[in-house]
Amino acid sequence: MGDAIGLALAIAAKDIRAELRSRTAILSALVFAALVLVVLNFSRDPTRLSSADLAPSALWITFAFAAMTALNRAFTTERENAALDGLLLAPVPREALYLGKLLANLAFVGVIEAVSLPLFIVFFNVSMGGALPGVLAVAALGTVGFVAVGTVFSAMAVRTRFAELMLPVLLLPFMLPPLIGAVQVTAALLEGRPLSAVGGWLRLLAVYDVVFVTLCTLIFPAVVNE
Amino acid sequence: MTGSLPAPGVDVAAARRLVRIGLRLSGLGLAALAGVYVLAIRFTPTEASQGLAQKIFYLHVPAAWTALLIFSLVGIVSALYLWLHDPRLDLFASASAEVGVMFSAVMLTTGPIWAKPIWGTWWQWEPRLTLTLFLFFLYVGYLSLRSAVHDPAERARFSAVVAILGLVLVPFVHLSVYLWRTIHPMPIVLKPSAPSLPPEMLRTLLIGFAATLLFYWGLVTVRYGLGLVTRAREAEAMRNA
Amino acid sequence: MPENGGYMAAAYGLTAAIYVGYWLRLRARARRDTALPPSSPAP
Repeated sequence: MGDAIGLALAIAAKDIRAELRSRTAILSALVFAALVLVVLNFSRDPTRLSSADLAPSALWITFAFAAMTALNRAFTTERENAALDGLLLAPVPREALYLGKLLANLAFVGVIEAVSLPLFIVFFNVSMGGALPGVLAVAALGTVGFVAVGTVFSAMAVRTRFAELMLPVLLLPFMLPPLIGAVQVTAALLEGRPLSAVGGWLRLLAVYDVVFVTLCTLIFPAVVNE
Repeated sequence: MTGSLPAPGVDVAAARRLVRIGLRLSGLGLAALAGVYVLAIRFTPTEASQGLAQKIFYLHVPAAWTALLIFSLVGIVSALYLWLHDPRLDLFASASAEVGVMFSAVMLTTGPIWAKPIWGTWWQWEPRLTLTLFLFFLYVGYLSLRSAVHDPAERARFSAVVAILGLVLVPFVHLSVYLWRTIHPMPIVLKPSAPSLPPEMLRTLLIGFAATLLFYWGLVTVRYGLGLVTRAREAEAMRNA
Repeated sequence: MPENGGYMAAAYGLTAAIYVGYWLRLRARARRDTALPPSSPAP
């Protein structure tokens, strides 16, 4: 068991190192975050819609896009290096492979979220107050939700011709429950309500994450095994 | 792998029989549906508060239940395929999905047409309509993936994964929107299906469901048979190559 | 009773078109795919 975890971490580290060498994906996600910031702020009537009202949606649109970018970037590295095939030749338990990829994708999205969040706080005039730990928690819960299923689909889509199109088509329905929950909780937290007020959503998010991470770990071998 | 299937000649003949049977069954199903049309329009009382538009109920609900039933079948059969590796299971799943997407389309079009006169808007983000939309996306995703993967074994495995994950997703979509709606309730409270349905309406609904199921059964038999024909031809081509 | 028969007609018509259209196209495809190949001419 410890072996599998160690293996997963090693796979994650390899992926992250590969990504850090080419920074295009991180940059494109950051440009998108800036775009969302500017467009949403300038397209509203400030007297009628406060920027703080828009912040939760804007934040989660950016986070969702970051997740898609992270999952898409896997294609270029996979295809060019045939990395996955190499890994599969080794006696690596497929579940560890999945967890490693999941961790790498989460780390990548985490970086983008960590940079976007302060930007939003500043430009959307959000008063965090004591809400920060809660916001970080819901960011983690929601992100795990997208990326768990996305990691599986990304491994499948890479073997199809129009991979960049196949991934969003498959993933879109799966992003809804985490997104709805995450936006609701974020909005409540930024309004100053305590976490207990959104207990139902948090439970839904947590259950979604547990169910899908487990299911995806179990089902990933079917994707990569002959 | 092809050892489990009989020689190509026998294959194709059996498949042709299936296709013929399926065409007759589905033709019967269509006739039954035409009967449901007559039943719903002429022999079922009209609901006073909703008017004639309420009769869309007798088409929309059977199509919706069937689409959902088929999707569940596809998910369960896919899970069985991953366990048993029997290619016939994959064939059945793909045949069902190809039919299911059509029922899902009917569900997705009749829903808003019914909603407009009753709720005043074509669309509401409420649990049932949203599920309708997502079911359609899931079908489209499943079928797109199948057409994008060329190796049959890989295609079967991949689409099985999507089907299983999709089936598990369904309750979460429903729960999320339901929970959201408890916070942001719908402006109009008129419920399309009254909790206690008068017996004639229930009768028409159930007959509608039976006719729709018969139609599905016939259609999936045809699709399955055609799938067998394609598979037999592919096997033959590989043998002669 | 509200006057909304037009919606009913639209829904019933569209559904019929989808069901019948799908069945006709499937039947045409079935005929094409299960057509017996022409017997090969004598050598």
